[in-house]
This record gives sequence, C-alpha cells and structure tokens, in this order.
Amino acid sequence: MTAIPLLAADTSTANIPTWWGVAASAALVLVAAAISWRERLGLERDVAIAATRALVQLAAVGALLLFVFERGGLVAAFGWLTVMVVIAGFVAGGRAASIPRSRQHAWWAIGIAVGVTMGLLLGLGTIDAVPQVVIPVGGMVVSTAMVTAGLALQRTADVVVDQRARIEARLALGLPARDAFLGPYRTAMRTALVPTVDTTKVVGLISLPGAMTGLILAGVDPWDAIRYQIVVMYMLLGAAFIAAVLSARFAQRVLFDDAERLVRL
Amino acid sequence: MPHTEGPAPELFELVDVSFEVDSRPVLSHVSDHIHEGHVTAIVGPSGSGKSTLLRMLNRLEEPTSGEVRFHGVPLRDLEVHELRRRVGLVAQRPVMLTDRVDSEVRVGAPDLDDDSVDRLLEQVSLGHLDRDRLPEELSGGEQQRLALARALAVGPEALLLDEPTSALDAKSAKSVDAVVRSLIDSGLSVVLVSHDLKRAASLTHDALVLDHGRLIERGDPAAVSYLGGS
Repeated sequence: MTAIPLLAADTSTANIPTWWGVAASAALVLVAAAISWRERLGLERDVAIAATRALVQLAAVGALLLFVFERGGLVAAFGWLTVMVVIAGFVAGGRAASIPRSRQHAWWAIGIAVGVTMGLLLGLGTIDAVPQVVIPVGGMVVSTAMVTAGLALQRTADVVVDQRARIEARLALGLPARDAFLGPYRTAMRTALVPTVDTTKVVGLISLPGAMTGLILAGVDPWDAIRYQIVVMYMLLGAAFIAAVLSARFAQRVLFDDAERLVRL
Repeated sequence: MPHTEGPAPELFELVDVSFEVDSRPVLSHVSDHIHEGHVTAIVGPSGSGKSTLLRMLNRLEEPTSGEVRFHGVPLRDLEVHELRRRVGLVAQRPVMLTDRVDSEVRVGAPDLDDDSVDRLLEQVSLGHLDRDRLPEELSGGEQQRLALARALAVGPEALLLDEPTSALDAKSAKSVDAVVRSLIDSGLSVVLVSHDLKRAASLTHDALVLDHGRLIERGDPAAVSYLGGS
C-alpha cells in the first residue's frame, strides 16, 4: 500500500499568515475584550490571559515541533506521543476519580489504543513513518482516546452508583461479577461511544474536520485531503472503541473485590 | 408453621462479628447462631445493623472482624458463587432485571425448562401472568413475588428476606406474606429482617434483637421483650 502523501507538491496557492498577519489578527482579541468591557461581562482579564496563553503555548509547541522534525527523528516523535498519552491518561482518569486507580486504567487503555491504531496504520504503510505525520496523526488518536476513555470511566462510575441494586441482585443469585456487570457495562459503553459514532456519521455534512481543512488550507487537492480524512475517521473510530472498552474493563477489575462484592464509590 | 423436634442443626454461626463503615461501628461483637429449617427474624430499630447482618450471610458484606460460618465452614472458605446460590437474598425493593416474566425467573438459572418456570410462578401465585409481560409493568407486590421466584429458581437451601413487604401497600404486602408463609411451611430455612414486630413474632421460631449494632436479646419470639414477650 502506498502511503498517503502529507502535502501536495505545490503549496504555492496556500496563503500562510506572516507574523505581521498574526499581529493584525490580535485586533480581534481587542474586539472580544472591548465587547466584554462594553457589556460589563468582566471577562477582559480572562480574554487577555487566554490569548497570551494560546500564543505562548503554540509558539512553544511550534519550536519543539521544529526541533523534532529537523533533529529529533522518529524516536523523539514517539517520545512526544508517550508524553501526550501520559497527560491524556491523567485527564481521562481524573474524570472518574472515585474509581480506584482510574488514571492507571486510562493510561493503559489510551496507550494500547494509540499503539494498536498507529501500529496498524504504520505497519500497513497507510501513513508515512516520519515525525511530520506521526505527531499530528498520533495526537488526534490520543485526543480521541482520551475523550472516550474519560467518558467510559465516568459512565462506568455512574452506573455503579445508579445501578448498584441491579448489580447486587445478580450477584446475590450467584452470578459471576463479570456477568452481573454486563448490562450496566453495555449501557455505559453505548453512552460513551455514541458521540464518536455520531460524529463519524455526519462528517462532511455538518462539520468539516480539522485534518481535511488543514490539508486544503495547505494547498492539497481536496480529493487527496478527503482520502486522508477517511483514514483519520476510521482510525479515530477504532481508537475510541479500544480506549473505551479497555478503560472500562480495567476499571471493572477494581470495582469488585475478591469475594465479588461491588465496592462503594 | 413447622416446628422441628429437638435442637435443629446450625445453619449459620456468627462469631464475634463486627462491621465498620468509615470507622463508624455498624455491628459490634455479634455472636449467635441461626438454625437450619427455622425461621429467624432479625429485628431492631432503624440503623441497628439488621440489613448489614443479613447481607453478611451471603457475603454481600464482609465483617471487619470476626467470622460467619455456614454449616460450620467459614464463608471465606466457600466458593462465593456456590454460597450465593445456596443462600438466596430478596431485597427490600424488588429490582427487575429483564424484559419478560419468564426471563426474570431464569436470570440465575438460564437452563430452567418451561415447566419449572411455570411451577415456580404458580408457587408465588403468579401463574396467571403472561410469560412475555414486562416485569417493570407489574405491581409492587407482583414484582416482589417474581423476585422470590427468581431467587427460588436457583434452588437455595436458605432464603434471606430483607423487609420484603416494607415498600408495599397493605394488599400487596399480604400477597407476599402468603407466599412467604407457604415457603416457610415447605421447610425452607428463612432469615427475615423486619421492622414489623407483630409480623416477625407470628412468622418466626427465633428472633435476634439488634440495637446500635449490638445483639441485645435473642430467643423465642414469645419470650423476647422487644417483641412484646415476657
């Protein structure tokens, strides 16, 4: 299989903003602050902090990306992905802090989802094994896996509380914990995954996804951009299911003790 | 109500059982025994630890210290699924788990044939129900009797009943009571948590009285002062 090229050969049609252009766009930040001041929303300070943070964070990321692309190579790219997985696990696990060791479950689930998805795409040669591809594509996978793992853990914690009586009624009949938890688990998984499935259903109809938009902005032929986006959507769908199911299954192992009693959250 | 002649063998033994939640004592040093073939009531005011003690008998709760034994064997040494199949539990509020009456009976016994399902439904006076009815649509009393059939389907030798009529209206409670009486008459060992002292006294052989997590009285209901005995 031929790897999909990241960029078209001719990007001369793309109009990339200069730093002067960036400075000019800051006028819109002033507009936002002015509206806040005029309407007495009290958000002027937050607007200033947000705009400054966006500038500093993106500039720092840009500088790092430049370094990785020019000197770091694939090792640095995968190192970058690993850091993203660690941060993502921290965030996703924090969504269900009541579940014992929730961050650990999220780390493993997201890590495996990213490993399987990226491994498959790189292994099949669908995407190029270069930092310019691994980092942005991997970042999308990590981000989706983080959101679905977080949702899955949160919904799992919810069903443990809401459906405690149902789970215990099954345990009391001598059913193994895994069977007793099956119904609530499926409810939690459906709730966690429906947003991802729905997003995939309506892609292109009510939203123009980021990867495609970025490629078109960079001057890539729309037909090539769409091919890339299809790969991205399928990849994100797979990553979402892997991350959600694994995080909930890992969590399930600590939701029941040795005597198959449901712990209290 | 069947009365056994001579001392009945022990079904459960409670050995210095204590239970705490967040360092707050729920049960304190409870030691006693529950006889096989008997109906034993656990009574006491709200928050006295009755339901916790009941749930310990099939390991839905675990003592913080002390030990519960079943036929002389510590519960920890028994395979937990097997224990729970031998010691059924019916909760205070019925929880329906499936979308059909016959499926509900089969939750813990998926291989049960139609005749056995019919027999169990007859046993709990629900023989008239269409098998494809949605359990959630049944009345509270019918749901509680269906929960009883579901517990009986597994073939338990003892049944734990946690205030099975307290959430029901008088008519529904009466229908559940009638089923419980028939089960007792069939010789099933029953441990019953009840706040209804009159009901407990009329149904049971033994009564354990808990107060603030302590066992303060036990014996024949007619002689237990908490139940109005002498």
